[in-house]
Amino acid sequence: MNIDNTASQMRKGVLEFCILSIIKLGEAYPSDIIDKMKAANLNILEGTLYPLLTRLKNAEFLTYRWVESNSGPPRKYFSLTEKGAEFYNELESTWMELANAVDEITGKKI
Amino acid sequence: MKKVININFQGAVVPIEETSYELLKQYIESLRHYFANEEGRDEIINDIESRISELFQERLKKGSTCISDDDVNSIIKNMGRPQDLEEAENGEQFNSAANTKDEFKEKRESNHQDNWNWKGKRLYRDENHKILGGVCSGIAAYFGIDPVIVRVLFIVSGIGFLLYLLLWIFVPGSNMLVNGVRKRLYRNPDGKIIGGVCSGIGSYFNFNPWLPRIIFLIPFISFFFRWGHIGPLTFPNFITFSFSPGTFIIYIILWLVIPEAHTTSEKLEMKGEKVDLNSIKNSVVEEMKGVKERVGKLGKEAGSLAKEKGGEMGQEMKFAAKRTSGVLGNIIVTLFKVFAYFVLGCIALALIVALFSLAVVSIGLFPLKEFVLTDGWQSALAWGTLIFFIGVPVIGVITFIIRRIARIKSNNRMMRYSFIGLWLLGIVCFGSLIASVSSDFRRTSSPNEEKVFLANPGVQSLEVSSLNNNRYYRNNRWFRFEPFANFDDDTVFIGNVRIKIEKSLNDNFQIGLIKMCNGDTRRHADTLAALINFNISQNDSLLLADRAISINTTDKFRNQSVEMIIYVPVGHRIKVNKNMAYNRVWINGPWRHDDWYNWDDEDFNFKYGVEYIMKENGLYTLDGIKAGKEDDWNSNDEDYNSGSSDSNQQIYRYNRNKLDSLRDDKERQIQKMQQTVDSLKHMKEQQIIKEKDSLRNVKEKVEQKIEKLDEQRAISAKAYLRPASESYNFIMHI
Repeated sequence: MNIDNTASQMRKGVLEFCILSIIKLGEAYPSDIIDKMKAANLNILEGTLYPLLTRLKNAEFLTYRWVESNSGPPRKYFSLTEKGAEFYNELESTWMELANAVDEITGKKI
Repeated sequence: MKKVININFQGAVVPIEETSYELLKQYIESLRHYFANEEGRDEIINDIESRISELFQERLKKGSTCISDDDVNSIIKNMGRPQDLEEAENGEQFNSAANTKDEFKEKRESNHQDNWNWKGKRLYRDENHKILGGVCSGIAAYFGIDPVIVRVLFIVSGIGFLLYLLLWIFVPGSNMLVNGVRKRLYRNPDGKIIGGVCSGIGSYFNFNPWLPRIIFLIPFISFFFRWGHIGPLTFPNFITFSFSPGTFIIYIILWLVIPEAHTTSEKLEMKGEKVDLNSIKNSVVEEMKGVKERVGKLGKEAGSLAKEKGGEMGQEMKFAAKRTSGVLGNIIVTLFKVFAYFVLGCIALALIVALFSLAVVSIGLFPLKEFVLTDGWQSALAWGTLIFFIGVPVIGVITFIIRRIARIKSNNRMMRYSFIGLWLLGIVCFGSLIASVSSDFRRTSSPNEEKVFLANPGVQSLEVSSLNNNRYYRNNRWFRFEPFANFDDDTVFIGNVRIKIEKSLNDNFQIGLIKMCNGDTRRHADTLAALINFNISQNDSLLLADRAISINTTDKFRNQSVEMIIYVPVGHRIKVNKNMAYNRVWINGPWRHDDWYNWDDEDFNFKYGVEYIMKENGLYTLDGIKAGKEDDWNSNDEDYNSGSSDSNQQIYRYNRNKLDSLRDDKERQIQKMQQTVDSLKHMKEQQIIKEKDSLRNVKEKVEQKIEKLDEQRAISAKAYLRPASESYNFIMHI
């Protein structure tokens, strides 16, 4: 049981939720997602993002379209499917409950 | 100066330094392995490649002429190496059971421009569905069959265990990644002699392919050199007979199972990260660091202790102590460290050597267990001891070393605990085996001398020789375990036969036999002693006797021993042939039962194949040299302590003999001196005689002359008589 391990476990749990919420705001390109997360001080490796996106896409929560880019190969822009939106809502309510519970337990009243 | 090459990367031409290209290639290959179990592997890799390509374009747009190592490294850092990804995901990528089989199915929807021909079908140990090491489930996945079938096959086939261990060691686990590049065991088609197996193993461990080749060949070489002459169960033969088909089968199986490295990337993969002296050194250095710290700590404690003591001894002493702990202390700590390393190394080496020699000896001796152990229970304990107490640590050490060399750092706690548990079981087996066996040896039978009937006891001389069944008595095994002389399937021969030569009280040769044995009770020991089969037969002057006691599996070995006492009448001769030389011979001297092993052939003045004659006071050679031990040790020991009149007499005799021989010597010396004196005397006398003669001669001559002169004088006197008388008269007158 070490701190790194626990912390990364916690981070991992909310990662998908964060990604989905970024994409929900509008079509997103992976490096945009990374940038936004960095801006929110949530550092993840780019390498971990791609498999997550692919998994979500394969689970039909996400869809993408190719957009030509002037700086290299065409980019994949991801957006939420209907199924993805439902999934996101469920995650959001779960998150809210969890956040409330954690705040309550740790004694920080909102 | 670096070579720049152009690559077609994700549809764009990228100028890249050659070394950077290698880096990139390695990195993508490592990702490919990392995502091997992922359903959308190719898509993920493609996405990542696109992103990398985009980043490349950015850099090139900024004005770089080409992509350098730094660029690639910083991109890799942002993307994350497989290790980092694993840390971040905690192995989550192996998320579904169904994936694992797909992983091995070939997928060739390769839409990359680069020509890395990824062959999906690989043999891995499947660490997600493992029971022991994942070998069986890996093989099952490889062939697309149910792992249970493979497991059953492994358990049923006898060779399975050994093969399993080998595959466990050699086949990498599906989780195993060495520095981002999975090192794979391939058959090497470039360096092959038969199938390239050895060459592949060689490049996997980065040593000369001849090493595995020789290891594979040893049993065959030994077979061809016919070590089989040595005996049925010596150690080299043990290897030959049980391992030569074994290595052959293993080679064939490895040949079938290990894929051949066809493409360049596979060949690179085959070599992977170099497991060379450097990496071994590094891991050893890491190991030693821990030791160093501990030793350093100890040194510091010693230093602070010295300081404390210094404080107690007042100002001046304190100063001295500080200086001591400063300068001298450093030297002492360094010396201590060196010494500690040395000692630790020695202990580790000694332990490993001891362990392996124990394994060798116990495997060599294992066939003997039938002759020692009584029931199934003891036999089971013996097996337990061999497998768990000896086998488990040996396998443990081998696996540890190989894992160290291959730098496999999976934290396999289960394996460690099961090793320790099995070994503890082995200790229990060993302990109870020792207890059980030693209770079977607890009591000794009562010594009982039985006379042996001789067909012709009145012969002048007796020659002791062994019965002509030399086959069993060949003693040229390269390791020997006394008192077992030799053994075959159902009989073991124990060289526990001792010969004692004593003086007979009458005019006949007599043979006495004392059979001894151990057992759990005295009665049992006596029964077993009576069962000892020891053949003696006389053929004129030839006495044929067994050289060893034969023991079969029903009677068991209970330290049986036979003492053959030959009573030789005075004036008769005895000779012990050289073919009995394996046994010890004692001559009538007093000896104690438990002293026998202290007696060495050198201590003992008895020669095999030489005729001896029994005299009133002991055994002599025909030249008159006394046989038996001539050692101060013996006489001193007996002189003062022994109350027995017999031994006193012995000593007395012994001393008188010595005196006699001394006197003889002196007399001879005196005689010699006398002789020389005599001869000197004689010479002198002769000289004197000679001189006398010559003197006499001279005297005679002189006398003759005097006579002549006298005669002449007489004549002249007559002639000059007158004047002479006149003168005389004249004188008278005066």
